[in-house]
Amino acid sequence: MKPIWKTEDRSIIHLNVADFAVAVERAVDSRLKDRPVIIAPEGAARAAVYDMSEEAYRNGICKGMALGRAVRLCRDARILPPHPDRYEHAMRSLLKQTLPYSPLIETGEADGHLFMDVSGSSRLFGPPADVAWRLRRQVKKDLGLDPIWSVAPNKLVAKVATRLVKPDGEYIVGAGEEESLLAPLPIRLVPGIERDDLLRLQEFNLTRVSQFTALSLEQLQIPFGARALFLYQTARGIDPSPVLPMGQKPPKVIADHEFGNDTNDRSFLESILYRLVEQVGDRLRRHRRAARRVAVILDYSDGMRCARQLAARPATANDLTLFQLARRTLLLAWTRRVRIRHVRLICDRLIFPPAQLKLFADEQRQTQKRDNLVVAIDSIRQRFGTQAVRIGRTLAA
Amino acid sequence: MNTQTTHNSCRLWVGTSGYSYTEWTDAGFYPPGTKSGAMLPLYARHFPITELNFTWYQMPKVHVLDRMHRQAPAGFRFAAKLTRTLTHEIDPDQWRGQATQYRDGIAPLLQARKLVAVLLQFPPSFVRAPQSRQYLAALLDELDGLPLAVEFRHASWATDRVFAELERRRATLVTVDEPELPGLFPGLDVVTNPELFYIRFHGRNAKGWRSGNMQKQFDYDYGDDELRQWADGRIAKMAPHASTGVIFFNNHVRAQAPRNAVRLIQLLIARGLMAD
Repeated sequence: MKPIWKTEDRSIIHLNVADFAVAVERAVDSRLKDRPVIIAPEGAARAAVYDMSEEAYRNGICKGMALGRAVRLCRDARILPPHPDRYEHAMRSLLKQTLPYSPLIETGEADGHLFMDVSGSSRLFGPPADVAWRLRRQVKKDLGLDPIWSVAPNKLVAKVATRLVKPDGEYIVGAGEEESLLAPLPIRLVPGIERDDLLRLQEFNLTRVSQFTALSLEQLQIPFGARALFLYQTARGIDPSPVLPMGQKPPKVIADHEFGNDTNDRSFLESILYRLVEQVGDRLRRHRRAARRVAVILDYSDGMRCARQLAARPATANDLTLFQLARRTLLLAWTRRVRIRHVRLICDRLIFPPAQLKLFADEQRQTQKRDNLVVAIDSIRQRFGTQAVRIGRTLAA
Repeated sequence: MNTQTTHNSCRLWVGTSGYSYTEWTDAGFYPPGTKSGAMLPLYARHFPITELNFTWYQMPKVHVLDRMHRQAPAGFRFAAKLTRTLTHEIDPDQWRGQATQYRDGIAPLLQARKLVAVLLQFPPSFVRAPQSRQYLAALLDELDGLPLAVEFRHASWATDRVFAELERRRATLVTVDEPELPGLFPGLDVVTNPELFYIRFHGRNAKGWRSGNMQKQFDYDYGDDELRQWADGRIAKMAPHASTGVIFFNNHVRAQAPRNAVRLIQLLIARGLMAD
C-alpha cells in the first residue's frame, strides 16, 4: 500500500533572523558588530548562555553553556543581559513589515522566525522569491536586521532550507525538490523529529535521512507504530500543515510572576502559584470558560527555561482544582536546584464549562462544595475588593 | 513549433524571462493544476530557450541546475542571470569569491553545452563612473570564458567607447525594449559580439516602471505593429552581424510574455528570419 497525499502547490516564505537576540542588540548598538557577543543574565551565580553571535559560536560557545566556561573560551566577548522586551518589539516590527504581503503569517515566540504563505498573492506582488528578497531588503533598511530567507513548497522544507544557509543567505526550493534537499542531511536537522525518535533511530544505526527513507512505511510501523506515518512523510519533506492566519492563535489565559529575589523556597513558590491560579481562574470565570490544559513555565536564574503541562479532566475554572493541577505541573517542571526567577501559568484549550455532573454523589458533593466556595469568594471580592478575603496560603507570600 | 532557424547563418532563439509563474496557469498558458515542478517540460513544448532569473536571487546550485537541464529536451537552451551580489549588492571584499561560486554553480549547463549566455544586468544606479568602469572590467575578467551579455539600465553607458571595449572582449551588449523614460538606456541595434546578440523586451509601462512592484513594472502587452517594427527593423538589421540571436520577453504579468513571444516568432517566420 502506498499512501496518497493530496497537496496543492504552495509557496511558503520563511524569514529567519539568525541569532535573533544578538541581531536586535546590534541594531541598537552598532559597536557590537563583527565582534563576539554573548547574551546571558547578569548577576546570577551560575548564569547560562541565552544566545550568542556567530563569532562566539565559532569559538565553541553554545546555548545553555555555563557563562563562566563561555567567558574562558572567548575572552574578548561582550556580555549583555537579555532584553526580552527589545526582542518582542523587534518581532512586532518584523511582523509589521510582512503584513502587506499576505494574511497568512505565522510567527514563533520572539525568536526571529516567521512563515508566510504567498501562494495566492503572486498576481499582486510578483513571484515569491521576489517578495522574499524585497522583504529582506526592506527589513535590513528599516530595522537593521538581516534575515535569511527561503521559499519552499511547505513550512518544513522552508525551515530546513534556512538552517542550511545559516548565518546568511537564501534558498529557493522548487516543488519536487523537497526529498532531494533532505536526503543527504543528518536526521537531527529535520524539524519535527524529536529526541525520542532520534534515540530509537540510533538503535537502528540510522543517522542520515537517506538511510531512513530507504525504509518503507510498513517497516517503520513496526518500531514506531502510529508515529510511523508522520516520520515517513517528514523525512520526505511532506508537510501539509498550513501557515496559521494572523489572530487565529488558540486563546489562552496567562499570568506571570517575577521574583524580586530568585527563590527555591517551595512554600513561597506555591503561594505565588496560588495567586497566579486566582488571577487565571478569575479571568476564566468572567469569560465563562473552563480550561482543559494547564502549563507552567519556569525561568531559572541562570537563564534556563523549563515548561511542562498537564491535561485537566474534566475542564475546570475552579481555583482549588486548578491549583492542584498547577502544583503537579510545577513539580514536573521544577527539576533543578537552581533558584527560580520567573514563573508563568498558562491555561488553554478553553471550552464552555462542562455541564456533565459527577456520577457518584460523594464526588458531586465535593465538587459542589468547591464551586460554592469559589462563588462565595468571588461575590465578596466583587463587592468589597480583591483584598477583602484571602486564602491563608497566599498570606505568607 | 520549430523556432530555431537560420538566416544569413544567424540562428534565432525566442523565449521568455523565467517560466515558473503560477499566474501563467490562471492565464491559461499552463493547463489547470500544473505544479511548478512540472512547468519546464510544458514550457519547452512552446519555446526552445529560457532565461533563468532565479539565479539572480540566489547563487546557482549544481544539483538544481543539473536536475533542471535534464528535465528539458536535448535541444533546449538556457541563459542565466548573474547573481545580485555581483550586480546590485556588490561587496568589494566578497565579490571575487561570489564570482567563483557562480562559475561553479553554473557548470552543469556549461558542460551540457546548453548555456547560451550569462546575463549581467546592472541596476539604474550603476552609472558610468571610474569606479563602476573598473568594477565592470574586473568582473568581465573574472568571468572570462563564459558567454557574457551586459545589460545597462543607465543611459551614461551608451557611448562608443563602451561598445568598442565590449567588442574587444567579445561580450554582448544587450538590446532592450523598455519605456522611454529619461535616464534609461536607449534601445539600440549595436552588435558587439559576432557570436551573439541578445534582446530583452521589458514592456513599455512607463507608469509602473519605477513603482517598485514587478507586477506593475512588467505589465504590458505588445501590439502587433510594435512587434512587427522590431522584426522588420532592428532584428532584421542585427541578424546578419551575429551567428546567434536570443530574444526574451520579460513582461510576464498575466502571461503576456509567452503570448507576445509566440506572435514575434510568427512574424519572424513570415519575414523569413526563421524557418517554420
